[in-house]
Amino acid sequence: MAGVKVVDLTHHIAGPYGTKLLADFGADVLKIERPGGDAGRRLPPFYHDEPGSEKSLPFLYLNTNKRSITLNLKSETGRAILMDLLLDADAVVENFSPRVMPSLGLDTDTLREHNPKLVVASVSNFGQSGPWRDFRATEIVEYALGGLMYIFGAYDREPLKHALHQAQFKAGTNLASATLMALYHQRLTGQGQRVDVSIHESIASALRDVTNNYTYTGAVRRRQPNHTGDLTRLRAVSDGYVLPNPGMGATLDWKVMVDFLEAPELDDERFDNASARLENAEALGDILDQIFATKQKQEIFYAAHQKRFIYGVIDSPEETVDNPQIQARDYYVPVHHPDLGEITFPGAPFLMSGSPWAVTDAAPRLGEHTGAVLGDMGYSAQDLAWLRASEVI
Amino acid sequence: MAGPLEGVRIVEMGQLIAIPSAMKWMADMGAQVIRLESVQRLESYRTDSLYHNDVDGEFWNRGANFYEQNRNKLGLTLDLSRDEGRQVLRDLIAVADVFAENFTPRVIRNFGLEYEDLRKIRPDIIMVSSTGYGFDGPWANFGATGPATEGAAGLAYITGYRDGGPVMSEIPFTDYTAGEHTVTAVMLALMHRLNTGHGQFIDVSQTQTCSATIPEALLDWTVNGRVPERIGNEDPAMSPHGCYPCAGDDRWIAIAVDSDEAWLGLCRVMGRADWSADQRYADVLSRISHRAELDKMLGFETRNHDNHELMARLQAEGVAAGAVVDSEDLLFNEHLRERRFYEIVDHHEATGMPPLPYAGRPWKLSDTPADPPKPAPIMGQHNRDILAGLLGRTDGEIGALEEAQVIGYSPLSPRGVRRPSLDEQVRQGRMQRYETDYAERVRQWFGTDG
Repeated sequence: MAGVKVVDLTHHIAGPYGTKLLADFGADVLKIERPGGDAGRRLPPFYHDEPGSEKSLPFLYLNTNKRSITLNLKSETGRAILMDLLLDADAVVENFSPRVMPSLGLDTDTLREHNPKLVVASVSNFGQSGPWRDFRATEIVEYALGGLMYIFGAYDREPLKHALHQAQFKAGTNLASATLMALYHQRLTGQGQRVDVSIHESIASALRDVTNNYTYTGAVRRRQPNHTGDLTRLRAVSDGYVLPNPGMGATLDWKVMVDFLEAPELDDERFDNASARLENAEALGDILDQIFATKQKQEIFYAAHQKRFIYGVIDSPEETVDNPQIQARDYYVPVHHPDLGEITFPGAPFLMSGSPWAVTDAAPRLGEHTGAVLGDMGYSAQDLAWLRASEVI
Repeated sequence: MAGPLEGVRIVEMGQLIAIPSAMKWMADMGAQVIRLESVQRLESYRTDSLYHNDVDGEFWNRGANFYEQNRNKLGLTLDLSRDEGRQVLRDLIAVADVFAENFTPRVIRNFGLEYEDLRKIRPDIIMVSSTGYGFDGPWANFGATGPATEGAAGLAYITGYRDGGPVMSEIPFTDYTAGEHTVTAVMLALMHRLNTGHGQFIDVSQTQTCSATIPEALLDWTVNGRVPERIGNEDPAMSPHGCYPCAGDDRWIAIAVDSDEAWLGLCRVMGRADWSADQRYADVLSRISHRAELDKMLGFETRNHDNHELMARLQAEGVAAGAVVDSEDLLFNEHLRERRFYEIVDHHEATGMPPLPYAGRPWKLSDTPADPPKPAPIMGQHNRDILAGLLGRTDGEIGALEEAQVIGYSPLSPRGVRRPSLDEQVRQGRMQRYETDYAERVRQWFGTDG
């Protein structure tokens, strides 16, 4: 991505994750923060639990390889500086609520007229149009309205969401993809365009067996009960949890499965074919729970893969660090931070042989590059002092 | 106008979701995606979740998830266990920009399809492999499912009710996470090739893509030595924050009170001036310390409301709230209709299926939107177009491939999965309910009456 210049007006999670994916693969990302700083700087947890705008761990993760300048976009001078920066940018990325950019006089038409090759990319809760455009949302609201929550959790309890901020990260990834598509077109034709990414649609476009269960059969899917005859449900073992998977559909050989689990009580016509298992789901579930409670996680996982049963393990964050596969791939990487020293970060989401992922610079301090960037634009030390005094930077 | 990827040719050897969903989005945006499958080994998405649950006739051309994942692609059947099949694939690689696959490295090696092999045929090829745990390392050849990598990445462990064990989403969630990152990766590689003329090998580990999206938990461990507890729908910085019961059968609303103004708005809508006057709930810290009590009180109030009406009233007062929508709510949705999120696909007449709506993409590009969608291929639909049109094979050569069953038009050993009846699925709790007039309602809402 060398030679791609991105002006990044985003804050919190979705936008910064999108531009992080670009920056970690070599794009030049200039992060523009309001003088108070990106709200993401207040996201917990903090380094050694010490709150502070330079110590939010998610912020440090989301803003690697970016430079930061502060700019007050509510001031005319601030906007003029932004417009200067946009003159030779390839893309500008923002995740304000949809009313904000036009209200600042930074609507898409103005920006594109200013620089016709500019890709103007937005990520927002519900997209830039439609009756829900200005709805307020947080992660849980996106899960609810996106259709993932209704099918998530226990059958007879309240629906659940994933821990943390999956909707935001999905949207950030989609932002990177869509912006890259527009940049690809720009490289071929010289033309920029508008990119509109919706967090809500990032959930609604990544569901299986939800709307198509309805359009194909009229069925409305629900959270699954515990005992369904499904052999692949998560089970507790003596020291944790595993995901059994004895082979899919037609490839399942019940006798092999019974031998593998050392569970002769399952060698029974109530369970030895799919429809019998559905019929006797409760009884089967109870027996499986008892059998798995006697197993050990690593032991049964490796034994299963010897037989090419695609078992999975449920690992805690701590266990992921010790996982031999994750270690063999050097997934966790040390990142040197000038103030905090060395921090172990989650690393490359995917490996690219020719244009590899790399963190060369820790996340910037608030406005760390304001002087350098504005200096390059021709602002003198005296200009900078005046801009600072007038709260433009 | 056509999409931005017009002129990019992708050969896909995909299965299920991880690679097919990614290549679908690239096909939507104008890439020509040639999808390989074989008549010898029938993909499970062709055999399950069938239209009308009908296993008769050519059921393999009626699988919901096959159609969901393979829109806009061309279909070629090819038996790669045979020399003639592998030769066709090599000829395709020679004219392709991207080769995308999600099999284990063992399979790819056996077929002679590693990146080094492909480079000899097409020096600037981009190859993308998507696996559960990565293309190398001790687990490289361990098969994986979405739930397995949701577990290995650390996400499942930290998700769940406060008083219970880990809970997984009921979809192969990380297949999509990996697919979304795969689109980013392939686009990065296409950009790199524009700049340098070089292709490369992309190694997507579904586990790693998922871990990349939970830095809060992973860094809390590596830096602070703490593993987050499972907290259900709570948010450490907001209260009330959760999912509350509403009127009706299994109806719910999600509410997130993220400011004092939002709290006052909530009290107004619920008609509880006494709450807003109560100093115990006056600021966020005091509301967090009374979290359990507030959740109970709020749930007691919401249970009498319709979830969509309550959402509208709360949003009007500036409260982040959303009805927990089910399949039907999500499909017949005014916002998504106005956004033209669902796209109507006309199916091949051999399927006997009417035009149906499918979820589109989470983005819109103003100047290069997608062309109207084409359906996923029926089996072998584009064999001739590709072999004759693209590779210049003669009728005689194609006939010989057909004769030898290297290519074909129907599975050699078809076996469809008939699901239990809908009544039975409702009785088991797998489905909430079903509607019998769904086809009519879909036609009316999407205006596909003809």
